Amino acid sequence: MEVKANAFARNARKALLDKTLQEALGRTTERFLAHRNAAVAAFSGFEETRERASRIKRDVLDHLDTYLARFIAEAEKRGAIVHVARDAAQAREIAARIARDEGVTLAVKSKSMASEEISFNEALQGVGVTVVESDLGEFIIQLAGEAPSHIIAPAVHKTREQVSRLFERHLGTPRTDSIPELVGMARKHLRGKFLSAGMGVSGGNFLVADTGSVVIVTNEGNGRMGTVLPRVHLAVVGIEKVIPRMADLPTFLRLLPRSASGQTISSYVSIVTGTRRAGDLEGPERMHILLLDCGRSAILEGKYREVLKCVRCAACLNACPVYQSVGGHAYGWVYSGPIGAVLTPLLVGLPEAAALPDASTLCGACAEVCPVKIPLPDYLLELRSDAREQGLKTPGEIAAMKGYAGVMRRAGLLEAIERIAGVLGRFFTKGKGIGGLPYPFSGWTERRDFPVPAERPFRKMWKIRRGAREETR
Amino acid sequence: MTYTTRMEPKEPIPVSLFFTCLADAFSPGVCSATVAVLERFGAAVRVPLSQTCCGQPAFNSGNRKEARAMARKILLSFPDDGYIVTPSGSCAGMVKHGYPVLFRDEPATLARARAVGERVFELSQFLVDVLGVTDPKSDFSGKVTYHDSCHLRRGLGVTSAPRKLLRAIPGVEFVEMEESDRCCGFGGVFSVKHPQISCKMTEHKVERILATGASYVTSGDLGCLLNIGGLISRIGYPVKAIHLAEILAGKHPGVPAEAPPGAKEGGR
Repeated sequence: MEVKANAFARNARKALLDKTLQEALGRTTERFLAHRNAAVAAFSGFEETRERASRIKRDVLDHLDTYLARFIAEAEKRGAIVHVARDAAQAREIAARIARDEGVTLAVKSKSMASEEISFNEALQGVGVTVVESDLGEFIIQLAGEAPSHIIAPAVHKTREQVSRLFERHLGTPRTDSIPELVGMARKHLRGKFLSAGMGVSGGNFLVADTGSVVIVTNEGNGRMGTVLPRVHLAVVGIEKVIPRMADLPTFLRLLPRSASGQTISSYVSIVTGTRRAGDLEGPERMHILLLDCGRSAILEGKYREVLKCVRCAACLNACPVYQSVGGHAYGWVYSGPIGAVLTPLLVGLPEAAALPDASTLCGACAEVCPVKIPLPDYLLELRSDAREQGLKTPGEIAAMKGYAGVMRRAGLLEAIERIAGVLGRFFTKGKGIGGLPYPFSGWTERRDFPVPAERPFRKMWKIRRGAREETR
Repeated sequence: MTYTTRMEPKEPIPVSLFFTCLADAFSPGVCSATVAVLERFGAAVRVPLSQTCCGQPAFNSGNRKEARAMARKILLSFPDDGYIVTPSGSCAGMVKHGYPVLFRDEPATLARARAVGERVFELSQFLVDVLGVTDPKSDFSGKVTYHDSCHLRRGLGVTSAPRKLLRAIPGVEFVEMEESDRCCGFGGVFSVKHPQISCKMTEHKVERILATGASYVTSGDLGCLLNIGGLISRIGYPVKAIHLAEILAGKHPGVPAEAPPGAKEGGR
């Protein structure tokens, strides 16, 4: 997927003017967040579980090579073929080869953010394979030719009317504003695809090292159907998704649905362990697991490694007032919200996405809800500092910072400036708020007043008081 | 000396005021009010005048070299003992959590930063947790709602102290707003870099404030209040943004910070 992260400010302004998007965003994030908060409040073991999940993930990161080797060995023992891709180009090549070698012409795909990272669909289309998204939201945005705008609700920015129009154009169905009818249309269309597809493609929420299983958490059942009906199953999963033991899975299953949608458990949890065995009623004859490094081992070596604990629940998106205001597309790549603002620069390189770490007020709401305790605000700060060190800041900002620090090194100079500003402020505003400031503060005063500097700063007042006291001694 | 237990009331309580550059320049009344409240509860307030800015705008925008220069100055401005109290959750958080990051590669400064950081308290936190104040003895009156500043709430974990104090003022009718802990959109440099997003968030906050019917919105951070107040004043909404310190000080602060000529030394 093309990276447009540095256009964040422009994308955001566009999003703010999009009335439909604004309505949909407010409604959806509020609902997700309210459900999440209620589910967490009703789960007394939340904090303890969160702490345990964080510890397990940290252990995984400390011994990632060991756990991955175990996972690969166990999965292969059960008939799966495991591939590891260093980068997106290699991943696309492997995916295309798998499809070609397996003689696939139609693939059904359930939701996978990792596959978006490598532009999976384009890779398969390049070798003549049709890929149909089977998650309802993903299906809708595939018809619209758009990218997901939310990790778990990819079509959150679309209204039912827009969806109905899309279906009319692409599926030939009549217009309706009934959501159940729309869902029925998509289901009918997709059912045919499920039955004729040669390959089912999925992501993976967890890779269980001691059993070689791929765990898929969904609500629509498309993940299960896509992994058991077609002859071939291909799972595309980031290497950091491995967990040590099947016994660790419940910890994460307690956290993920609650954090994501406020559900105690999602409608489907599929544990796919190897190919169909003799006597199995269903399951793929062939199973491929494509593990993506794509920058992850580099993250593991550095100071941002805990970002690899992420379980993609999207709670940080829903809790983030910036995400709530502008939606996912503004972030210009696969991942959005606070996790996107951290992960995107790390995966695509800071020069390509230096605007994203600035897309936060550092309010800390993300860290408060993160089920695996990723220090997102600390990482945003750290990335901003990296941007300065890598020469990615504008000369204007650096000059302003130097000037400001220069003044602040001298209390006397600061007081002089404060007093001049105070006099000017009184003179020009008559004590009311400042209604218009020049660039770069002009945006600030567009819909808000800027405070007027006090005529006499506190440090001066204090000197007067102290003087008065000394006189009386 | 530990800084978490309440001191004997008879002893003068040594407090250095960390008045913050924002209040110094834009709302000196907040600083005076802080002094008045502290003196009311037996503090001997010192005001080191060499302090300027804690460096947070530079730190938060990734300009750590400049932030370090300012942080060094703050660390040198305050005496080696006594409490350091500030009417800002944000500036307190900067010293307590930001400085250790800034000086992580300078062991000596890091030690100093940690030692100073331990003595830094936000005003309401200091009054309730350290001095054990239950009644702020304020004659302020009006219907008040409270905005949790992000850095006071999530940075320092202070949520109940300001509410306890507000509820204890007889003339104050305290009313909670919905989403009191949602960011007001200020974010310092954020509000300059992304003014439209910032303003959208401020509008959301102001809607919540107006829905309470309060005459005053208060908070422990002036940054939020200047931001919220800026929107309120532009539209002309019938609600006033006022710092918690000013509410605690009341209509007629017991000890004026700006004493008239010839006045006696207040407090101790």
